[in-house]
Amino acid sequence: MTSSGKLIPLEEVPRFFRDGMSLTAGGFAHSHQPMALLRELIRSGAKNLTLMGVAECWVAEFLAAAGVLDRAYFSNFMFEGFGRCRQFSEGVEAGRIEVEDHSHFGMVCRLQASALGLPFMPMRAMAGTDIVAVPGFEPAEEKSSFIASPFGNGHVTAVSPLKPDVAIIHAARADRLGNVQLFGTTSVVEEQARAAGTVIVSAEEIVETDVIRRQPELTIIPGLMVDAVVHLPYGAHPTGVYGYYEHDADHLGAYYAASRSSGDVRDFLRCWVRDMPDHWAYLDAVGMAKLMSLRTDPALGYARREGAHA
Amino acid sequence: MRELDPRREISPDERMAVAAAREIHDGDVAFIGTGLPMVAAYLAKATHAPGVRLVFESGIVDPEPRELAMGVGDYKLAHGSTKIAGTAYALSLLQGGRVDIGFLGTAEIDAFGNLNSTVIGAYRKPRVRLPGSGGANDIASMAKRFVTICRMDRRRFVEKLQYLTTPGFLTGPGAREAAGLPGAGPVRVITDLAILGFDPETNRLRVEELYPGISLDAVRAQCGFDLGEAGSIGEAPVPTPGQLHLLRDVIDPEGIYIGPKRA
Repeated sequence: MTSSGKLIPLEEVPRFFRDGMSLTAGGFAHSHQPMALLRELIRSGAKNLTLMGVAECWVAEFLAAAGVLDRAYFSNFMFEGFGRCRQFSEGVEAGRIEVEDHSHFGMVCRLQASALGLPFMPMRAMAGTDIVAVPGFEPAEEKSSFIASPFGNGHVTAVSPLKPDVAIIHAARADRLGNVQLFGTTSVVEEQARAAGTVIVSAEEIVETDVIRRQPELTIIPGLMVDAVVHLPYGAHPTGVYGYYEHDADHLGAYYAASRSSGDVRDFLRCWVRDMPDHWAYLDAVGMAKLMSLRTDPALGYARREGAHA
Repeated sequence: MRELDPRREISPDERMAVAAAREIHDGDVAFIGTGLPMVAAYLAKATHAPGVRLVFESGIVDPEPRELAMGVGDYKLAHGSTKIAGTAYALSLLQGGRVDIGFLGTAEIDAFGNLNSTVIGAYRKPRVRLPGSGGANDIASMAKRFVTICRMDRRRFVEKLQYLTTPGFLTGPGAREAAGLPGAGPVRVITDLAILGFDPETNRLRVEELYPGISLDAVRAQCGFDLGEAGSIGEAPVPTPGQLHLLRDVIDPEGIYIGPKRA
């Protein structure tokens, strides 16, 4: 291993991508979604993708808008404060995207089954509903089974494992060995990283391993699970990173307005994804003033509302 | 206390928030989503249930936010939390039997309190794809009890759901037990016209309380299934000046979830 360890530039990430792969992505609501890695994935041209998602709504929406998403195992994609994910939803309505529904805990348990190396995971939700009775693209008997406990103490729903080929995750800081730390809520990144075949992490900061060793309790993914690390400050933009910056409501709003029409959304993707030479050009286009306005107040952990920082 | 604006009428959202707050008991662990449940939970905490502990599916436990959050993923909500974790941890509290009450919204509800938040139309080729269960099925399956909050009309209160996302009493008495669901199921449905509960014999929805000026016939007219014989019907709680002050001036002063613009 070279001194750069697992640290690679963004333009080398596409070697992990291929047509037809399955992926999972970190993030919840408008927080820590791996948007710069996602933009690179779309630029790479990889298509016919399967998403194994819990709450990575922006990842699902952009893949749908780019026309590269074929299937989704998922539990809920919507935009807090805006509404439903239009391109994803319209893709499902038009039959372009096939879906397999779960509860959040159902998706978490299927990823955990892979993460723990188990042939299934028992759980108590979803039973009795159309989530287990009405199949999408996966035969119902391959998704779940209602079974008696071997110990005679009740029944559970056993769900089968989901093992994504690739996990893309954006975090607060990482070192060159791939030790990853994330502050605030952590969505499902721990389970996703443990379940996936290949784990690619982008981080706001690259720090020395000594910094990691000083606060190991903050490490959410140890380096032994990580295949590549990319240094991407503001790599979650337009979503936020706890302790660093808020989500960019103006930018998200501009996308949401564009998502009403296929022409506008194509233009948005051309402008912000396909024709963008690299991540630094992207940040230039967003603009220094906007990026600085999103910085969080270290005492509060979030940015004060408009007017509070005149 | 600032004098309330007498020209501002009490909105349906305010009535529903007050009714939802009443469902929270002091000392409860409550699983809370974005919107009215968040407002109701903070109203309960500021009044009769100061000991309530709130859990959010984003992984936030028992926070003390200084401003109302725009959603459960909003960093403002994490402020002052006693534990911050991930989604798996928050949901596992439900399965572990730690959560007393949860709140849900819905696109459709049937007579047994089952909910649809997945599709309008056929599952594989829907007319409208909705966001999906998220934590709703988990809350309804595993919280000790749950409450549904939604406006009432015939498109929402339907004889047959287009997709059963979230279990109420499923097909009726004994069905939840047969499905191995640990929670006791729905206890209340809070609407803009009436507050409904469930007949313990049949597990079917029935009217329990009416808001002033709303007749039982008006409620029946907005419901797509038979509400059965109502027993003794009470009067739904009218928000007090103190509750309105808390809602309008303290909890949601910008009218994000409740306010004249949303009325």
